[in-house]
Amino acid sequence: MKFTLNFIKEFFNPQKEASYIAERLTLAGVEVESLKKENDDWIFEIEVTSNRADLLSIFGLANEISAVLGKRLKILFPSIKKKTVDLKISIEDKKDCPLYIASVIKGIKVVKTPDWLKERIANCGINSVNSVVDIGNYSMLKWGHPLHIFDLDKIEGRIFIRRAKEGEFFLGLDGKERRLTSQNLVIADEKKIIALAGIIGAENSCVDENTKNILIETAIFSPLTIRKSRQILGISTESSYRFERKVFPQLLEATRAASVQLILKLCGGNFLGSKKVGGVSSSSKKIKLNVNSLKRYVGVDISFSEAKNILERLNCKVSKENKEVLKIEPPFFRDDLKEEVDIIEEVIRIYGYEKVPEKLPSILPQKDDFYFWLSFKEFLTRLGLKEIITYSIVKESYLEKLKEKNFIKIVNPLRKEENALRTNLLLGIIEAIRYNLNQKNKIDGFFEIAHLYRKEDGRFIEEPYLGIGIIEKPLYLKSYIEEILKFLNIVNFEFKKEDLPNFTSALFVEKDKKIVGFLGNLKKELRDFFDIKKEIYFAQLNLSLLKEMRKDKFFKPFSFYPKVSRDISLAKKKEFPFENIMEIIKSSVGEYLESVEVIDTYRGEKIPPDFEGFTLRLHYRSFERTLQSEEVDKLHNQLRKKLLFPEVKGKIILR
Amino acid sequence: MEEKISLLEKEAEEEIKKVKAEKELEEARVRYLGRKSTINQLFSQLPKLEKEKRAYIGRRLNLLKEKIERLIKEKKLQFEKKEEEIDFTVISPCLHVGRKHLLTQVIEEICQIFKNLGFQIIEGNEIEDEWHNFSALNIPLEHPSRDVFDTFYLDLPPQEGGKFLLRSHTSPSQIRVMEKFSPPLAVISPGRVYRPDNPDASHSFMFHQIEGFCVDKEIDFSHLKGVLFYFAQSFFSPQVKLRFRPHYFPFTEPSAEVDISCIICQGKGCSVCKGKGWLEVLGCGMIHPKVLKNCGINPKKFSGFAFGMGVERIAMLKYRIADIRIFFENDVRFLEQF
Repeated sequence: MKFTLNFIKEFFNPQKEASYIAERLTLAGVEVESLKKENDDWIFEIEVTSNRADLLSIFGLANEISAVLGKRLKILFPSIKKKTVDLKISIEDKKDCPLYIASVIKGIKVVKTPDWLKERIANCGINSVNSVVDIGNYSMLKWGHPLHIFDLDKIEGRIFIRRAKEGEFFLGLDGKERRLTSQNLVIADEKKIIALAGIIGAENSCVDENTKNILIETAIFSPLTIRKSRQILGISTESSYRFERKVFPQLLEATRAASVQLILKLCGGNFLGSKKVGGVSSSSKKIKLNVNSLKRYVGVDISFSEAKNILERLNCKVSKENKEVLKIEPPFFRDDLKEEVDIIEEVIRIYGYEKVPEKLPSILPQKDDFYFWLSFKEFLTRLGLKEIITYSIVKESYLEKLKEKNFIKIVNPLRKEENALRTNLLLGIIEAIRYNLNQKNKIDGFFEIAHLYRKEDGRFIEEPYLGIGIIEKPLYLKSYIEEILKFLNIVNFEFKKEDLPNFTSALFVEKDKKIVGFLGNLKKELRDFFDIKKEIYFAQLNLSLLKEMRKDKFFKPFSFYPKVSRDISLAKKKEFPFENIMEIIKSSVGEYLESVEVIDTYRGEKIPPDFEGFTLRLHYRSFERTLQSEEVDKLHNQLRKKLLFPEVKGKIILR
Repeated sequence: MEEKISLLEKEAEEEIKKVKAEKELEEARVRYLGRKSTINQLFSQLPKLEKEKRAYIGRRLNLLKEKIERLIKEKKLQFEKKEEEIDFTVISPCLHVGRKHLLTQVIEEICQIFKNLGFQIIEGNEIEDEWHNFSALNIPLEHPSRDVFDTFYLDLPPQEGGKFLLRSHTSPSQIRVMEKFSPPLAVISPGRVYRPDNPDASHSFMFHQIEGFCVDKEIDFSHLKGVLFYFAQSFFSPQVKLRFRPHYFPFTEPSAEVDISCIICQGKGCSVCKGKGWLEVLGCGMIHPKVLKNCGINPKKFSGFAFGMGVERIAMLKYRIADIRIFFENDVRFLEQF
């Protein structure tokens, strides 16, 4: 909302610098976003919060500025004589339009708009059209009630305030044609629509330089009806903005009187009278303010008389009920003041937030998971992974491509195709990898922790997950999972082979028959679909399950006796799973086997082409004694023999 | 015997001098000092000698042994000196250093500050219903005050809390916690929020907020100011100034917007603060009695304050980032900076 200092001076002279006024207004909650000098005037641009309909008029702003500067503004509302004129007006639904007043002036002359008037409205952001329309806008700015002026001679017969028929067309003053629905409220005569109620007039009935007779429409429309009507058409005007917030019958009268008077003064003509349909009653309410609640709420002593003074400056009627309680009747244009806290805010914002001291409350610290999750993310970075944050809203077509089911869709998406909530963290990882590959960046590996969502039995499930994606050394993916589970002290988990629709070589991570996650290699077909030139190895873990399963850590003793290590070189047929070799190792060397590591892998001429070679190092150790070289050799030879058994012949070659 | 010793001494001296590699030196050591060495053989012959000679020869042998040991040691030192130098001027190899996303770091830092004051961190769900996102917070369903809360609706069948949606702010967590627990409460709730805003340098349809609130007997506006002062000075700088501007939020009364003195120009006026010297960082206020009532808390007995801030905005100010979209591009060159 824009206003100017000279416009305010039509009500009172603040006798203060514009910059001082701007600062005081800002500190009282009317934020001045910009202040500009224009000839001999100052233009203020302010942010009006949705509760303050009163600030959408120069009159309301003058009242506020006066209060902020320390004085009560005396307001004189313009009025005109009551005269009725015969007009036929029908309101289809009083809920849409509780009050409609049509005022008629005949014999006017559309003259040149005087410069002062042109400047007033221009500085408030409204272009000059012609003197009559300009006076209408000036009156609206000054008193806050939107009005519309028709060329009376262009109206044919009775006036209707009704909902539009489905598919009716409307050509607005902005030159745009719109197709209406029953959500739109219109003003129509017997032949045509003459205005989109509360929003914009039609070209077919507007005032032009030849206009002689006019009809001034001042009405009250339902804020909700106007809001829906303009939302559906995607427009917003000075008029709809005000109707949506709140209009007041008293200001309607003031606006109407002011515009009639000014038109008679500048354009001549005779005021024939007006026709009023409907009516609204305004009730005054009284709010009690206990000075003790003021102190309890704000933490500062404001005296009884100071509170009273502040409220009176705001044009509230204030009386003393007893020593502690004030009875307040806010002015009609402050219907945002409804209860005691609203009054408290009024007092404190004019008093000044800056005068409230700072204190710290004493709070007893409580437990939560904060440090656990903090250290969990910290741990993931220790694995050398980089955290990414990607969008939770994804393309439905992508989820379908991934054969995902039960995903939740957005009814009103920003972009039509991005309309689903993700059910996996894969898409985000793919996007980050693709982006960085295109940028030729070095990719070590990414992780993301985020919620995933899905439908289940008509309700929804939202749970946190961890996703990891790498493009090199696929076996590391398994190491990461093992390390994560070790960090969480989750033991006795298993990796189980599984067929997954989007991955090859997939494994489930299982514990106590619950699937806590999976890992796999993204299928080539999908890599091609997402246009990624590299393989993507992806793992996903359910964090609510892991959180349930994690256990406190206690020291685990280890042996102090020396370790004895033996190497074995072998080759296995490629499709023969390595875990079968591990089973043989475990079953044959038994209790003294501490661990096995792969120290070398080999593919080449020395072994058959469908084989791959490994050099394994077996570590033996006892808890009770130093193992003798001979007994380890014995165990190791047993193992070599077992690896030559007929069951595995042709699958394992010892080297 | 003495001759043998002299010869041996000469021979050893010359040979050790000639040694060119560490391996040869080891061979020489074995030859002259090892189990089968001449010295050892000579030592073993000692008992056969007469008493006086035995002592004399013994001493000479020991001296010789010490001399050879010393020569070998000296030679060894020479080799050690010749050990290859590392050229540290070579470009160092790349390490795989993991990183937390900057937003995670900022969220953790902010939570930590409030944790020091005794706040508890509780995260909420992103899928919410109209009751928790709007009505319970005193935001009427069809009202201009909802314009800033444009919301994504979901295709889930409505339940008692109304239609389901993606939360447009973290305030629903406030309601959830107050419905479930009774005061005293001091909670911080960080998380993702969603609004159908067209993406540009300062808008994203997904971003992060941190909600905080405190409800107890005798909590007043001065506590809100105190807590936010503590936060701003800990997070931005001890010199930062704060300005509380009255504002309107349906769920708080009185409400305020909080500005910090511009951290770039220290309040003098620059392009970031648009010459104002102040930067808006959060919204706050005393929790509206209706909101407390909606959660079954008696507003006559308890009062509380609440505040909310945008994590991206604060991170952008602190780290001087001009475009919000960079947070979600996940460019490695961005991730590696923090």
